[in-house]
Amino acid sequence: MASFRISGLTKSYGSNVIVDDLDLEIEEGEFLVLLGPSGCGKTTTLRCLAGLETPERGRIEFKGDPVFDSSARVNVPAHKRRIGMVFQSYALWPNMTVRKNIAYPLKVRRMKEALAAGRVEEAAAMVHCEHLLDRYPSQLSGGQQQRIAVARGLAARPDLVLFDEPLSNLDARLRDQVRTEIHRLHESLGFGAVFVTHDQSEAFALGDKLAIMREGRIEQLGTPQDVFQRPATDYVAGFIGMANRLELRRTGAGWQTKGGVDVLVARDVPDAPALVARLWPDDVSLHRDSESVPTGAVAIKAELLAAEFGGRQYHVTVGANGEEFRLQADSATHGSWLRTATEGCPVLISFRAEALHVYSEGGERALASPGSAG
Amino acid sequence: MAMTRAVPRIGGDAKLWRTRALYAALVLGLGYLIVLPVWRLQSLAFDNGAAGYSAQFGRSDIGETLRTTTVLALSSLVIAMVLGTVLAFATSRLPRRVGFLRIVPVLPIVMPSVATVVGWAFLLSPGPGYLNALMRQLPWWDHLDTGPVNVYSSTWIIIITGFGLTSFVYLFVSAGMQNIGSEHLEAAQASGSSQIGVFFKVVLPLLRPSLVYGGGVALLLGLGQFTGPLLLGQNEGMKVLTTEMYRRTAESPVNYAAAAAAASPLVILGLVVILAQRLALGNQARFVTHGGKSFAPTGGRSYWAAFVVALYGLFALVLPLAGVVIVSLSPFWSENLSWDFLTLDNYQKLFDTPGVVESVTTSVVTSLAAVAVCVPVGLATATLVVRHRHLKLVRLLADVISALPLGIPAVIFGVGFLLTYTQPPFILYGTKWVIILVYIVLMIPFATRMQMTALISMGNTYDEASAVSGASPLTTSLRVTLPMLKPTVLSAVALMFILLTHEFAASLMVRSATTQVMGTLLYDQWSNGSYPLVAAMAILMSAVTAAGVAVAMIIGGRNVLDNL
Repeated sequence: MASFRISGLTKSYGSNVIVDDLDLEIEEGEFLVLLGPSGCGKTTTLRCLAGLETPERGRIEFKGDPVFDSSARVNVPAHKRRIGMVFQSYALWPNMTVRKNIAYPLKVRRMKEALAAGRVEEAAAMVHCEHLLDRYPSQLSGGQQQRIAVARGLAARPDLVLFDEPLSNLDARLRDQVRTEIHRLHESLGFGAVFVTHDQSEAFALGDKLAIMREGRIEQLGTPQDVFQRPATDYVAGFIGMANRLELRRTGAGWQTKGGVDVLVARDVPDAPALVARLWPDDVSLHRDSESVPTGAVAIKAELLAAEFGGRQYHVTVGANGEEFRLQADSATHGSWLRTATEGCPVLISFRAEALHVYSEGGERALASPGSAG
Repeated sequence: MAMTRAVPRIGGDAKLWRTRALYAALVLGLGYLIVLPVWRLQSLAFDNGAAGYSAQFGRSDIGETLRTTTVLALSSLVIAMVLGTVLAFATSRLPRRVGFLRIVPVLPIVMPSVATVVGWAFLLSPGPGYLNALMRQLPWWDHLDTGPVNVYSSTWIIIITGFGLTSFVYLFVSAGMQNIGSEHLEAAQASGSSQIGVFFKVVLPLLRPSLVYGGGVALLLGLGQFTGPLLLGQNEGMKVLTTEMYRRTAESPVNYAAAAAAASPLVILGLVVILAQRLALGNQARFVTHGGKSFAPTGGRSYWAAFVVALYGLFALVLPLAGVVIVSLSPFWSENLSWDFLTLDNYQKLFDTPGVVESVTTSVVTSLAAVAVCVPVGLATATLVVRHRHLKLVRLLADVISALPLGIPAVIFGVGFLLTYTQPPFILYGTKWVIILVYIVLMIPFATRMQMTALISMGNTYDEASAVSGASPLTTSLRVTLPMLKPTVLSAVALMFILLTHEFAASLMVRSATTQVMGTLLYDQWSNGSYPLVAAMAILMSAVTAAGVAVAMIIGGRNVLDNL
């Protein structure tokens, strides 16, 4: 049975529905990531779990006990929910030292034994900040502040730890470091967690389970591997980075792009006048002439729009009859000519029809994914 | 990302009602103190078929009074807006070495307005004014017996009033300027603008909200201006609405109803301005500044800025203070200043005058008592307005009522309190209590606004972090919110103490022969013509204020005044 259960959660501001009849379960010790663009309701969902927002309808259970139930008029305030929370802006109290910040949840919950047993020092050591205990937050770097905030969130060993975009204010390198630390802490301590982010690489790296949200609802719920291999909708595919989108129209027995290129859809799809297909950038190859196009691949004539050096690869954008494709080109193979190539230079791109993720016309239903039966 | 509504709307019904009841009680209390006296005035003015209105507005010179009031307010507003904005820009460009000049534009607030006014009179009164006497030495004025400046003329009353309002405009504008990131200015300079160009093309447009807000407050202060017209305008029979109110209550035949009627235009305008500001400012979440890149003043190297600030300091502070000091050390006030006769006798005489020492105690005690009440009441009001958006009506009432004393001149509250507390149920006239009460009312806007600003810029996250750590709302207030507000509270205390020990307009109405404060005693001495004593009294007032500020600085650190 799930440790934490949200059912029928609805929250709106005026006529603007932020969370729309949402159901979600979090198992004991599970790391759940809420992923979505800003305004999709992920932070509001988290704040409803914390008790910082009051939903209109729905029920939230912690370990079988309701902490919120609109029909039974139950609303346990935030400070009685036994949670820990890490904020985007760190929210370390500037008037207290690091030690006092970390000790605060233990003190206000009257956990004298834990305090006496050195839990504060232990929590600081977990995030490698034991030497900072007597400093004030203003004397710390952003990365140190967020580590302390994590230590504070974990210090009281809460049942559930809530992370509200904790890495967004950090620069790229620190973000990776703190991410790895959070991952290792979860592995060793096994707390239940809900982590809100708009960054798919964070979501893939941290989550046991991902919930991709759109307009207050969950668009897909699954393991990172599931989501990566079989995005449930066109929206999810686009959000996790499958940047190439093809709108296909049926022409007799086959399919054609808007630009009029014939595309063979390898697998059976239901009888429909139109489809949407998605492709990962690294499933698309770049060619200077037709000789290197593998047999059986779909080839499209295109022109070069931009090529940006990215180390081992070039990030290439090409245009084909009004449609744009993004792809990765190996620097060793293509670097020599891409470096001097000018905009508008004619090229060829190719992809295997099996690599297409095919969705119904509106994008809501997955019809075929590579590796799936069919 | 999302707005907060931290208090349960369902489920916690009983708790919500308790919160609502507590805040409703707070608003009722504020309403009783602030609205009732003004209401009493109005009902009195409408008594007997609005006899008060006929008595006041039926006079032949009422047109002249209204015109003088308006001209005085608008002209001094123009002076204050221009000077205040220029000063705010200049202080932001001060060279690092003379950075201490930043404090100059707010210093005139520390000097009692009665002291400034009498200081200018000592310098520029047409006969014995020291500066006038000096100017008469100049070849093109050496034929004059009096003048060339007449400080009792309306032009000079306007100029002196404008100087006084400048500090207030400066406070608003410089606060607004802090919110303009230095990068905006640097971007404009990098794009090729000169410093003057940056000021007109970038700074002024970005400052518009602060200018509108500060201008509104300065206009109301100008319309309610009392000290200058009363002390200087008497000679030439200058009449404004506030001095009319005073004369109606102080000179026979006493006519409270007419005084109340004279207050009406000011009350109405004050209400209009406050409501307009509420509408214009809208959602306060826009003003959250924590978490972003904060304003970092880049020490400029503009010596013209230092010059401008120093020049203002000379005229707004040094000159009037010098006038007061010289008179206080002279046996009598005459144009022939003789350094040989300088004496401390006046101070000796001052302390021997019955009531002087008592007036100092009364001022300090009543001010401290009012401050002690205002801080917690202001915090509660600020919390209600900032953190309880769901209590719509109660919140709106608290917001407007707590702003009223800023929009309605202190004289009006003085008359209102005189009227309300000379009759049952609370007959407090002649006691310190009525002074404390009227002081509380006058300071509620400052206590509330300053703590409100601090709460807004703190944001909700610190409180939320405390709640999810397991702290109850009370624990959160005591351990997180209050400690974080400490610098603001100390600044508010310092400001309120300064303003109250200077208080004159409302005190003049509610004082009695036996219960005087420093400002009212000074006015009596001025009316008697004992000028050296007036000067010594003005110095004493300034000293008491300075002592208060020094104590605040010892407790709160040197930057107590920076937070104003």
